[in-house]
Amino acid sequence: MDLELLAQLTVSGLVVGSTYALLGVSFGVIYATTRIFHLAHAVAYAGAAYAAVWSADTLGLPFWPALVVGLVAAAVLGVAIEVLFYRPMRRRNATLLTIFLVSLGISVAFPNLLQLAFGPENQSLPRPDNPTYGLGSVTISRHDVATLLICWVLIAAVATYIARTRFGRSVTAMRTNPAMAEAVGIDGKKVYLFVFLIGSLLAGVAGLLFTAKGVATPTMGLQPTLTGFIAAFLGGIGSQWGAALGGLALGLISSWSALYLQVDYGPVVVFGAMFLVLLIRPQGLLGKAAA
Amino acid sequence: MNNRRKPAGRSGLSFPSVDVSRRGFLRGSAALGGVSFLAACGGGDGDTKSSAAKIDTSKVDSEVAQGLQDIFGPGGEEGGSGVTLTAGMLLAMTGQGSFFGKVMSQGAQLAAAQIKSADGITYDVKIGDHKSGDVPTALTVTRQLVTQDKIKILQTSYGAPSEAIVPLIGQNKLLSFNGGGSSPGQVAKPFLWQTRMIFGDDPCPGGLAWIAKEYPDAKKLAIVGTQENGVAGAKEIGPAVWAQLTGGTVVANEQHDVGATDFSSIVARIKSSSPDAILTFSFGDDVGYLVKQLREANVTVPIMGIEFTEQAAKVAGASYDTYNFATDFYDPKNPNPWNQIFVDGHNDMFGSDPEYYGANYYEQVFFVWELVRRVLADGGDPTDTTALQSALEANPEFKSLYGGDASAPGTVQFNPEDHTISKPMGVFKVTNGQPSKIADIVKIASGDDPASALV
Repeated sequence: MDLELLAQLTVSGLVVGSTYALLGVSFGVIYATTRIFHLAHAVAYAGAAYAAVWSADTLGLPFWPALVVGLVAAAVLGVAIEVLFYRPMRRRNATLLTIFLVSLGISVAFPNLLQLAFGPENQSLPRPDNPTYGLGSVTISRHDVATLLICWVLIAAVATYIARTRFGRSVTAMRTNPAMAEAVGIDGKKVYLFVFLIGSLLAGVAGLLFTAKGVATPTMGLQPTLTGFIAAFLGGIGSQWGAALGGLALGLISSWSALYLQVDYGPVVVFGAMFLVLLIRPQGLLGKAAA
Repeated sequence: MNNRRKPAGRSGLSFPSVDVSRRGFLRGSAALGGVSFLAACGGGDGDTKSSAAKIDTSKVDSEVAQGLQDIFGPGGEEGGSGVTLTAGMLLAMTGQGSFFGKVMSQGAQLAAAQIKSADGITYDVKIGDHKSGDVPTALTVTRQLVTQDKIKILQTSYGAPSEAIVPLIGQNKLLSFNGGGSSPGQVAKPFLWQTRMIFGDDPCPGGLAWIAKEYPDAKKLAIVGTQENGVAGAKEIGPAVWAQLTGGTVVANEQHDVGATDFSSIVARIKSSSPDAILTFSFGDDVGYLVKQLREANVTVPIMGIEFTEQAAKVAGASYDTYNFATDFYDPKNPNPWNQIFVDGHNDMFGSDPEYYGANYYEQVFFVWELVRRVLADGGDPTDTTALQSALEANPEFKSLYGGDASAPGTVQFNPEDHTISKPMGVFKVTNGQPSKIADIVKIASGDDPASALV
C-alpha cells in the first residue's frame, strides 16, 4: 500500500467529510424535528453564497463582513420558508408529502430566480490568500484547516446546545413526541423556527466555505443538500453526532476508495457502504432503533 | 382506506402519516405549480421558445450592414431578402452549463439581427433547453422543434445530446451544426456538421508536442478527463502520441464526473504518480477547479488543457496563470474586419466582448446565409436543406472569424467526407487570466509524426 497516498487521501477525506458532516447536521436537525424532507435547504446554501457575493460586489464590503451578510441571508431564507410556506400548509393539515412537493418546487425555482437576478455566470468572492502547509509529502491548505475547525466547532456547539440546554431539550421533546411536548407547554412553533434557523445557518456556512475557494453558481445548492440527507440517514436521524459521523464516513470512504479504484467509482463505493450500513443498522450508525 | 385526516396537535405540528387526501394533493400540486412557474422563468423548462422578440435590430447600425455587405456581398434578392429560415437551437439554457446556452444563443441572435439589417435572410431562432446535457430532454425538445416549430436548421451543443439526436437530424434532414461539443460519435453523420475541431482529439498531438519541446526531460504523463468529451484523446491518442514523442509513459489516467468540484482524490493520486506533465481533457468549470487544486497541493508540473473559458479562469483565480491549453481558440482582438463587426456588435447588444462559444454559433448563422446565397445563385430553393447541404459539399470553404488579418476575414474549410472542420489552432498561455497564443499547431492524420503537429 502506498502510505503517502493513504495519508494524503485521509487528510482530503477528513476535510471533505467535515463539510459533509456539517451538511448532515444541518439537514438532520430540521428533518429529525419536523419530519419535513427539506429539499429547499439548497436555498440557504446558495442564498448565503449569493448574498455574500452581492454584498462584496455591490456594497463593496470586505471579505469577512460579506460572509456575515451571507449568514444572515441563509438564516432569513430558511426561516422564511418555514414561516411563509411550511407553517401555513401545516395549519391547513397538509401532509408531509404535499409539503415535500412544495419544498421540491422551491428548490427548483430558487436557482432559476438566482439566474434571472445574477445571470448564469460564475460569481466569486474576493478571496484571501490560501497558502499551503506541508507535512512530509502531505499538503493541506489554510482553507482546509479553517474548514476542519469551523465545521467541528459548529457541530459540537449545536450538539452541546441541544443536549445540555433547556430549550435544546425541548427540541428533543418535539422530535420524540410533538403532541406530548406541546401538551406540557413547549412552544412548537418556536422550536420549529429554531431548527430552521440553526439548520439554515449551518447550510449557509457550508455554502460560504465552498464559495470562498470556488465560485457561486445558481445550481450549487442541490447536491450538497442531498449529501446532507445521505449523511443524516447514514449516521442516524435524531443524533447530531450521528449525522456528523455519517458525513465524515462519507468523505473518508469516498476518499479512501481512490486507493484502489478510479475516482469516478467513488459514488458507487459510498452508496454501497451506505446500503450495507442501513441493511445492518436501519436506524443509522448512531440512531436509536424504534421501540 | 381511510383518507380522512387525523387530528393535528395544537399548532398543527403533529403530522399524520403520509396518507394523501385528494384535497391535500391538490393543494400541494397547486403550490408546486406556482413555484414551478417561477422555475420556468429562469430560462426555459424544456419547452421551446422563439427568441425573435429579443433581437433588437435597432442596435445594428447601417455601418454594420454596409460592412457585412462588403464582406459577404449585397443584400436584397441576391442576399436572400424575403427568405425565412426557422432554426432551432438545442442549448444548455438551465443547469450547470447555462452560461454556455446564454452565450451561444446571444451569438446566433446577434448574427440574425445583423444579417437582417444587411437585407439578408430572416433567421428565426427557436431555443430549446437540454438542461445542460440531459439526453432524454434533448430528444423531446428536438422533436418539439421539428413538429411544432417546423425548423429546417439546427444549432446543437454538447456531446451526448447531439449524438442522441443524430437519427432525428437525419430523418428530418435538419441541416445541423455543432460548435460546442464536437465528438467522434457525431462525425460523418448525414446533415450534421462540426464547426469546432473535435474536442480533445484534434489539438491533443500539438499540445503534447509543445510540452515535449519545451520540457525535453518530461517522460511521465498524467491524464485527467471525463467519459463525455475527449474520451479517445485520453485513452488512445494521448498515450500513443506521448510515447511517440518522448518514449515516455502515462503514469496516471484519471476520470471524473462532469461538473465535479472536488478533485482532492484525483490530485492525491496524481501526486502519488509523480508525473512530469499533466494533460487534461476536463472542460467547463471543472478544469478551473482541477488546476486550482493541483497548484494548491504543490503540484508544479506543466498542465496542458484543451479549453479556456473565463468562467473557469474565475474559478481557478491566479493559479490559471500556470495553465496552458491547445485548441481552436477564438480571439476577440483578431483585427479581421468581420471579427471587428462581431465584437463591436456584441458589445453594443450585450455589453461585453464575445467569447469562443458565442463566436462559433454566430459564425454558423453566417454559414447558413452564405449557403442560401449560393443556392439562390444556382436557381435552387434556399429552404430545401438538401440543396443547402449540397452547396456546402460543393464548396466547403467559408469566411471565418478565425484567422485572417486586418484586411480580410479568415477562412475555414469543412471536410465533406466526415463533416468536420479545419480551423487555425494554437497553444496558449494564460497571463492575468487572459490567454495569448504562443505556438501554432495543426491537425495531423493518424500515423503522422506527432512532432509535425507543432508548426
